[in-house]
Amino acid sequence: MSTASPAEDVEVAAARRPQPRRGVSFRDAGPPIALIVIFAVFSALSPDFRTLGNVQNILDTAAVLAVVTCGITFVLMMGSIDLSAPGIMGASAIAVALLVANNRNDNALGLVGVLIAVLLAAALGCLSGLALVLLKVPSFMTTLGISAIGLGLATLMFAGVQPNITDTMLESWAVDRLLGFSYLTWIAAACVLLGWLIQRYSRLGRYAFAIGGAEEVLSLSGVKVAPYKIAVFTLAGAFYGLAGVMVTSQLSAGLVQAGKGFDFAAITAAVVGGTLLTGGRGGILHSAVGVLLITVLTNGLVQVGVSPYWQGGVQGLIVVAAVAAAVIPQRRRNQVTK
Amino acid sequence: MSTPVTAIPTTEPVVVNNRATVKQRLTSFMPLIALVTLLAALTIADPGFLTQRSLTAVVQTSAPLVVLAAGATLVVLCGGIDLSIAALCSLSTVIFALWLPDLGGLTTLAVIGAAGAIGTVQGIAHVLLRIPSFIVTLGGLSIFSAIALVISDAGPIRIVEREATNWLTLYVGGIVPMSFFVAMIVVAAIALVLKLTPLHSWVSATGYSESAARLAGTPVDLVKVGAFTVSGACAGLAAVMLVSRNFSGSPTMADNLLLPAVAAIVVGGTAITGGHGSIWRSLVGALVITLLRVGLPIVGVPSAYEQILYGAIIVAAVALTLDRSKVLIIK
Repeated sequence: MSTASPAEDVEVAAARRPQPRRGVSFRDAGPPIALIVIFAVFSALSPDFRTLGNVQNILDTAAVLAVVTCGITFVLMMGSIDLSAPGIMGASAIAVALLVANNRNDNALGLVGVLIAVLLAAALGCLSGLALVLLKVPSFMTTLGISAIGLGLATLMFAGVQPNITDTMLESWAVDRLLGFSYLTWIAAACVLLGWLIQRYSRLGRYAFAIGGAEEVLSLSGVKVAPYKIAVFTLAGAFYGLAGVMVTSQLSAGLVQAGKGFDFAAITAAVVGGTLLTGGRGGILHSAVGVLLITVLTNGLVQVGVSPYWQGGVQGLIVVAAVAAAVIPQRRRNQVTK
Repeated sequence: MSTPVTAIPTTEPVVVNNRATVKQRLTSFMPLIALVTLLAALTIADPGFLTQRSLTAVVQTSAPLVVLAAGATLVVLCGGIDLSIAALCSLSTVIFALWLPDLGGLTTLAVIGAAGAIGTVQGIAHVLLRIPSFIVTLGGLSIFSAIALVISDAGPIRIVEREATNWLTLYVGGIVPMSFFVAMIVVAAIALVLKLTPLHSWVSATGYSESAARLAGTPVDLVKVGAFTVSGACAGLAAVMLVSRNFSGSPTMADNLLLPAVAAIVVGGTAITGGHGSIWRSLVGALVITLLRVGLPIVGVPSAYEQILYGAIIVAAVALTLDRSKVLIIK
């Protein structure tokens, strides 16, 4: 009996977020403030940074990461983790390059090809969800395995000859501009909007929050958690797939390494945006701010003359610092960390 | 391990233990069975495989993997995971190549020490900041890769002076490659230290139930930092082995060893949930993985399937060895 009311609380919290006032509002306001501060600092430091062209540049660069982060945010909201982005993106990047007009075969499926690649990616994501739910293997292991499988599939399809795309539609995504931004940026914006709608208005998004907040309570109150977990991983896979397609569009070629580093960058972006790795906090809009933060930081550091090789290192430091900062309030309670 | 004090329950655990050992025996010998089966299968596929020359080549190839997996096994036994070993190993090859002209013969020790110190830093970050170990080491992975790229200018550094690593290319008794011999010594040393000191119970207590271990007075934090230190030092030693084979240091040299190392640990039968497992198991696991790697082309499977196989093996092995009684909710 007593279990029912906390479950309701969790859902209400997900819907309206009227939780402990001060902490939450600071957590929500922190990342946007940090974004503005960092932007201001780099604008002061570098004259190249504060040009309109560079702002367009930043948003165009952020597009792929934004789509990946949309997917990973749902997984993180559940309290799971997803390291499968590189493999899934690699598989979909090669798949789409082979399905649209290209130099390797006579396929010219256009948008249908994109759809098939995204479906392939969703299937891979579904596989890691299934392994998590059925085999009860922790998600960081299943997704590490799925990532390897995706990379293997990509290598098989790659078959030693790089597929260069000749499909004008896909190529134009990265080149043509609408209102000053490339199509890819608009696609990313649409993904963020779609992700936000799913998170806010669909049962899937609400339950993802609840699973992260208190999975036991949710399953005790009669919700079958497993299908939602699988669905979340499938959704995440679909987002990675689209991101892989976008990378292929940017490079005009399918590469096995299309998704290299995106898993970690996306986790960093989500964590910096205020999504807790323990689940139940954060969301798509938080992550979108996180993506902009990371991209502005990367771009700004390059503009002021820091070697681009440091990019990953900076992300590593940020994610450790952000997670540590998020854990500090619970340090005394949380004695066990694995 | 611990016998109950009261008289009545003593009979019960004995019965339970007996039942468990039959099942345990089978599962605990699985890695060995897999190893023998693989050897047999490869010999059938290619009768020339079971010769001294090719077996020597196999164990020589496996040496860095054995060392990497042995170090990381300690972290897994404590219930954590170290995803940074491969990146730290790559970084160490670069450091080795850079330090060699100045330090000469001392470079090997210096690199192992430095890698161990880096491992300690990760352990301290994990313990003091209470960040989950896979996040710390994932962060470490990108930081080490970045440092390696920057200090090496993103390219391989050739090693002209080969005396410092020459000893690793020798053969013990004319048969066993020195690198594999050293790997065996490392495995044996770690296993012996665990066995002869209270460390073994400390490590597995930490892995089985951290809060209980803490209440019982186990220095959990020290044990964890120690495990990360050994893991780092092993990555350094593996780097020296790689350098001795490739005559260069490169910022991405060992990056493709992460999956095989994790696979070796879980294939050996060490539970990813901590506590259950041993260093020897990882040695067998590493040999199985190396045989798979070497064997695929022999059987005529394209090497692209290697990755798919690793992925499937990791998921399957973890599913088989997982201690489900401990985790009620799998995240």
